[in-house]
Amino acid sequence: MNNNKEQVVITVLGANNPGILAGITRTIADSNVNVEDVSQKIMQDLFALMMMTDFSSANCSFEEFQNRMQAMADQLRVKVFIQHEDVFRYQHRL
Amino acid sequence: MLFSLEEVIETISAVGVETFDVRTISCGINILSCADSDVHKCAEKVYEKVVRVARDLVPTARTLEKKFGIPIVNKRISVTPVSLLANAFTEPTAVPIAAAMDKAAKELGVDYIAGFGALVQKGFTRGDQILINSIPDALCTTDRVCSSVNIGSSQAGINMDGVYRMAEIVKEAAERSRDTNGLACAKLVVFCNAVEDNPFIAGSFLGVGEAEAILNVGLSGPGVVRAALERAGNLSFGELSELIKKVSFKITRTGELIGREASRIMGIPFGIIDLSLAPTPAKGDSISDILELMGLERTGCHGTTAALAMLNDAVKKGGMMAATYAGGLSGAFIPVTEDDGMCRAIVDGALNIQKLEAMTCVCSVGLDMVAIPGDTSIDVIAGIIADEAAIGMINHKTTACRLIPVPGMKAGDIVDFGGLLGKGPVMEVGRFSPSVFVRRGGRIPAPVHSMKN
Repeated sequence: MNNNKEQVVITVLGANNPGILAGITRTIADSNVNVEDVSQKIMQDLFALMMMTDFSSANCSFEEFQNRMQAMADQLRVKVFIQHEDVFRYQHRL
Repeated sequence: MLFSLEEVIETISAVGVETFDVRTISCGINILSCADSDVHKCAEKVYEKVVRVARDLVPTARTLEKKFGIPIVNKRISVTPVSLLANAFTEPTAVPIAAAMDKAAKELGVDYIAGFGALVQKGFTRGDQILINSIPDALCTTDRVCSSVNIGSSQAGINMDGVYRMAEIVKEAAERSRDTNGLACAKLVVFCNAVEDNPFIAGSFLGVGEAEAILNVGLSGPGVVRAALERAGNLSFGELSELIKKVSFKITRTGELIGREASRIMGIPFGIIDLSLAPTPAKGDSISDILELMGLERTGCHGTTAALAMLNDAVKKGGMMAATYAGGLSGAFIPVTEDDGMCRAIVDGALNIQKLEAMTCVCSVGLDMVAIPGDTSIDVIAGIIADEAAIGMINHKTTACRLIPVPGMKAGDIVDFGGLLGKGPVMEVGRFSPSVFVRRGGRIPAPVHSMKN
């Protein structure tokens, strides 16, 4: 088990259109960020995607990764949130 | 998956839709080591120390904002009460220290620097007098410096000479900042039972019992509570309290995370998290809106004090378990001009200064950001401060006055202070005079601490 993991949650929300998952995962792969778990739903017409990733192997800084993802999200016209998992752990787990 | 999609979306919408933020990371810095009989040399040392100790504050906050996706709206610094240093000054002024603090704040990019203050609940030292006399000048010639003076406590009673002197200072500071509607007074707090670890301005300072440097965190989150109440619909009091506690737990927990991480990065101990609900002028980020959602037609109607008491208590209960060390002022704030809903209640005639005073008995902190007519006399201002201090003294809680007698304005006029300080109506004050009472001189003795009825 890798104890030096840096777990980052990626959330994508937006209108459902073809190519969102492909575009997002391509940027993640290009940044060498490892996807560990995926959950995706279509809620009415809203596309909601959440990924648990390990950032420790990334080929760029956290900020640069956020910028790359933001650029892709703008292209796909969706909203993307890149947050360290601790914020969710602190709020939702005792 | 470690978290459900619903949980993740809840956290994201708290920030995006419900205006949740960490209001402030405040770095307390001990400046007693800067003592010097030459005020100018002392000022140089203060500048050097503040810039050195808090150098990483703003970059750290920016890093954490990006890492967790939670805005940190203000970065602030508090210092040891400057009156302690002023005791040694040969020249009877502390204004150069305020100038040095302001310069340091600007150099570091922090929003406010506080602690230009004194503790005079029992009496004045020479340093206290130098400091207090310097307040109007200090606040009118700086942009980011905040000042507070403690004039009473449950242990010492109320220093009524201090109350009267502070009423004079409030009036003078307002007049001197006439061109900005008395803005200097928005940076000046008069306390009873001031706390030593408060991260909120304008009353923040680093108490003498604190460490060399410390990080304290304050939260905002009325919008999140409001949204939860909107979704919940009709609840009994017990259910309502439970709901508020849960929301308070989550927002406090976020503050705890930010505080721990900031402490780790900066190598400065994490002091406390203030279990607070601090409103902002943004629509919906209002304590008043929460009270009205609880079932009041307008904030200020009968029942408001009870609703606020319950809200305040539930916020503390929920936050308590989320925080390793709770402290500061801890509770719901009801600053008037900073809360759009409070302003609406005043304009509608539902809320007056008397009811506001009653509300301060059950919440943090006091008559906060209350604009009053510019022609309000020093005696009346002293009466307002004394009343508020008495509530704190008897009830063993912190109370405070941040009053702005807006030059040239009368009751009902709208004053705009800009930014987080907001805009709102000038409130009417009582017409009759407490002159003889407030000018008696001396102290109101400390109250009895038993036989509580």
